[in-house]
Amino acid sequence: MVQRRTRTAIVFLAGVLSATALPSVAQQPTAGTKVVQITGLAGVKANTKGSLTPENGNLQFSSSKASVSVPIHSVEDVTTGNDSERVFRGTFGNLTMLVPYGGGRFLSLFRSKVDTLTIQYRDSEGGLHGAIFTMPAGTADAFKKEMVAQGAHTSIPTPNDAGSSNTKPDAKEKQP
Amino acid sequence: MKRVLYVTAIFVLVLAAQVKPSEIHAQAAPARVMKASAIQVLMIQSDEIKLPAEFQVALYENLIQQLEKNGGFQHVFREGDRNADSVADLVVLHSTVRGFKKGSEMARNVTTVAGKTEIDVHCEFTDKGGKTVLEKDLNGKVRFFGGNLRATLDFAKKGAKLAHDNFATNPAS
Repeated sequence: MVQRRTRTAIVFLAGVLSATALPSVAQQPTAGTKVVQITGLAGVKANTKGSLTPENGNLQFSSSKASVSVPIHSVEDVTTGNDSERVFRGTFGNLTMLVPYGGGRFLSLFRSKVDTLTIQYRDSEGGLHGAIFTMPAGTADAFKKEMVAQGAHTSIPTPNDAGSSNTKPDAKEKQP
Repeated sequence: MKRVLYVTAIFVLVLAAQVKPSEIHAQAAPARVMKASAIQVLMIQSDEIKLPAEFQVALYENLIQQLEKNGGFQHVFREGDRNADSVADLVVLHSTVRGFKKGSEMARNVTTVAGKTEIDVHCEFTDKGGKTVLEKDLNGKVRFFGGNLRATLDFAKKGAKLAHDNFATNPAS
């Protein structure tokens, strides 16, 4: 009984620690940013979770099922944006709409802010591709800077000061 | 009186069941403008309307995916693809965004009636020489379920169907 309580306490403590540690990890784009590939990457299904890393002149997307590499010099445009998404998504999210007394509608009020990263690049035949990723709020601008530093082009230049961005500052301050 | 109604209803149902689906399609199918073995999709333009980059890219990518999914064309080329130059019977799709209203997924979920996202796109099909062969305004919308980007998929399905019905070499596929 005592052992079980101790184990529960340790698991709870570990959970709290990991939750507080997440934002600092998310600020480092070179370590592999956790992203969701919405659409565009050849050979990768829509809404695939994975990690995105700009290194050695390539933009590397790796997931459990696929790994795709795009030469950064072929990226013609990188843009960032922000959006929000439901906390309860997918099939489970749709099923929550069946909860009686408006429970599903209430649950849909819980939303998390995300950054979007959109790239346009050319393949070896000259064909234009586009890809959209969502990533934790506050990480897209740093990621874009890293890509531009490695040779990517952008139609909307990023401001030089690290603190400013084209996303709303209020939204970023509220992030845990 | 009731019996007469029942018999009439059954008669109508039997008649409706005997109409072949192919006949319905034959009546609804529009006359094809021209045959093309390949189609090239150009990046969606939005000079007049301020369209977020993710919507622009999603429109383009979904359109290509739907054209490949529908079949009927031997090749679906992207903008700038050098292989398209060697195709004689190529049709080129130019799309320009004419209207955009970004709704809210949360508003859709909570109220059901509000928060619709809608995109109006003018589609122009040209032959290889640049002569316009077909023009049509299409729209994409999301009313109930899904994120705002789902409107781009709705447009892509309509655009791919339009191309398939008018230019595909094998429209049955």
